[in-house]
Amino acid sequence: MTKIVGKKFSMPRCFNEKTKPSLYCPGCGQSIFLKHFGFVVDELMIQNRMTLGIDIGCSLLAWNFFNFDIVQTHHGRSVPVAVGYKLSNSKRIVTSIMGDGGGYAIGLQSLLHAAFRNNPISVFLLNNTGYSMTGGQMAPTSIPGEITTTSPEGKDPKTSGKAFHGPELIRQISDNKAYIGRASASNPILLQKMIKKALENQIKNSSFSFLEILTPCPTNWKTNAKESFKFLSVLEKEFPIGEVIKNEK
Amino acid sequence: MKNKITKIVISGEGGQGIQTIAKVLSISLKEFGYHVSYIPQFGPEQRGAPSISFIQFSDNEINYPRFYKADYLVVLRERAIPVVNTFISKSTTVIFDSSTIRPTVIKQSDNKKLAVPATKLAHDLFGKRNLNLVISGYLTKLFSLDNKEVWKLVRLQLKEKFSKNNGLEDGAFKAFNCGYEFMPERKNFSQPTFKTSKKIIISKNQDREAFVSPELCKGCGICIEKCPVGALKFGDEIGVYGNPIPEIDIDKCITCGNCYRFCPDCAIQIKKINKK
Repeated sequence: MTKIVGKKFSMPRCFNEKTKPSLYCPGCGQSIFLKHFGFVVDELMIQNRMTLGIDIGCSLLAWNFFNFDIVQTHHGRSVPVAVGYKLSNSKRIVTSIMGDGGGYAIGLQSLLHAAFRNNPISVFLLNNTGYSMTGGQMAPTSIPGEITTTSPEGKDPKTSGKAFHGPELIRQISDNKAYIGRASASNPILLQKMIKKALENQIKNSSFSFLEILTPCPTNWKTNAKESFKFLSVLEKEFPIGEVIKNEK
Repeated sequence: MKNKITKIVISGEGGQGIQTIAKVLSISLKEFGYHVSYIPQFGPEQRGAPSISFIQFSDNEINYPRFYKADYLVVLRERAIPVVNTFISKSTTVIFDSSTIRPTVIKQSDNKKLAVPATKLAHDLFGKRNLNLVISGYLTKLFSLDNKEVWKLVRLQLKEKFSKNNGLEDGAFKAFNCGYEFMPERKNFSQPTFKTSKKIIISKNQDREAFVSPELCKGCGICIEKCPVGALKFGDEIGVYGNPIPEIDIDKCITCGNCYRFCPDCAIQIKKINKK
């Protein structure tokens, strides 16, 4: 029989248990990502070499989530800060977590140039098709017909564009060694494998890696657990899951 | 006094329906001929974070919506108390939910405290989602408004929710009337029974054991949705945000580990027991 003491019984070892329960809403997909990120850090045993940059948006609620160094920056600027950190201290493993608003709408230029220069950092972008912290406004990643607070009749692709596909764009300009992919919170085991690949690509190949993760946002989608995963499967049809491979033509 | 402005602060957790009560109260005060100002406190759109609304009403015009000391403070969760303690002055009447808050936490003399065990009443009698309407009914009486007129406005506000679920309106009306007729507790407050237990709930048989921590569980229901054999369902225990948390049927469980994988808050774990 196992003896269980304290809160930490099913958490990764690198979690800061004093700050749990975390600040995230019930059913938030970002917590599912952060949990598996923690498992990978444990598995690779890199906790004392980690540096994590967080962004504006719901990703900043992770500011005391882990027991390693975390730096908080402005919209989309966690990528250039991570690049600078890696340049000055190349032994550290530098990662950045941001949302689709910070990464694709406000700070896309930072992300594109980091991918273009092939800087050896790992970027994780959490896509929930909206600006969640400010109340669920329409984002570039919202799919056509999606109802948000600023598109009450559904997103119109004629005026607001189709859904933004980030990894496919970044693949076009990135190096051949770069690892670009998309995972989803609906398949945590695949998610964990892809996070591991993204971190190992930085350590072994010293090149850029980028992973987009589709996450549910029950508060702004106004869904319960069942409907959240139903809408997530709709998103998975729009955004295909898996590694994005370079087209050689 | 004719120029007197009555200042009210209503606070609780996001998702409890604080802003709904505040909206109903301000609209009904306006219908009864007062000048009213209402603003919510803006912050991150998050469930579980403190949610506060500021209301003022007067016979004359109101020039500015903010204020620093309240005449009436309504507080429904212990988590909101550090944020609203600054609004308490010597003359503030504090109305609190005695089934979730210890009276000693509120920095006010006992003469000025009124308790309504709204969570307990709502949970026992008409479904715990109606706790805000119990308070709404009580406030209607406190400001001596006509309950039938106010109920019409409540119906107008919640029309969409009522049309989705037929049973909802009945419970809501009962809750509102119960709050209207309730005599608040003075000095003899009831015990805060609706508290999250700090112990880990262990259930086991000879093959496997399950651990659920109410201190961590937010009651999102993802584990129930993802369980392939339906071994999990909502039980009687209460989690950290006051929601019910899952209960496991250990004989049905097949130790697939889906709940443990999907749980966003690391609150559940299932382990096999090794037989030697």
